[in-house]
Amino acid sequence: MTEPRHTKFYLDRANRKWSGVCAGIADYTGIDVTVVRIGMVVITLMGGFPWTLIAYWVAAWLAEPKPRELTQETVEKTKFWQGVRTSPRRTIRDVRSRFRDIDRRLADVETYVTSSHSRLAREIEQLR
Amino acid sequence: MDEIFIPVTICFMLFIGLPWLIFHYVSRWKSQATLTAEDENLLDDLHDLARRLDERLGTVERIMSADNPNWRQLAVDPASIGIEDGVASRRIAK
Repeated sequence: MTEPRHTKFYLDRANRKWSGVCAGIADYTGIDVTVVRIGMVVITLMGGFPWTLIAYWVAAWLAEPKPRELTQETVEKTKFWQGVRTSPRRTIRDVRSRFRDIDRRLADVETYVTSSHSRLAREIEQLR
Repeated sequence: MDEIFIPVTICFMLFIGLPWLIFHYVSRWKSQATLTAEDENLLDDLHDLARRLDERLGTVERIMSADNPNWRQLAVDPASIGIEDGVASRRIAK
């Protein structure tokens, strides 16, 4: 048993209709599960007839069900990892911008605190 | 000649050309940069850290706003310190 990975395709047994492949795709990409299922049916009807079903069975046979650790994550975290899977570069940029935002706000706090300290020191000097 | 040549060509394409094509794309796909398990853990940690810092800073900012609603202007514009000092000292006197 390998360690569960956030960037691996898993079957989503909890939301399955058949084997959980469509629910797994939806969970992997962040696309709505209904859209994935309708897309699958439409492709099947529009000439993909045996191949989509073969692909479905192969996926259901090869992929593992989602590990328990990954099913118990918060909505925010699930969304974050869906973003990582779609575009890792953009997610890393997002994380960096969050750190920059924190840095900027912290600089504001620091300026205020240090300036109020110096003000306090000046007032004490005046009282002497 | 023809009845030998065509099956040989088909066999060649089927047993050499097709696997070649498939392995070519498989090796290409494998050589692409992907996130390793280590990268994933690092990213997970960074994301958690950013969220926690964000929350903590939010708490600090809320406390400071409750203390002195104008602290942001004070930090940006030190010229208003004189006026704000009056407000602050009155607040202390209360």
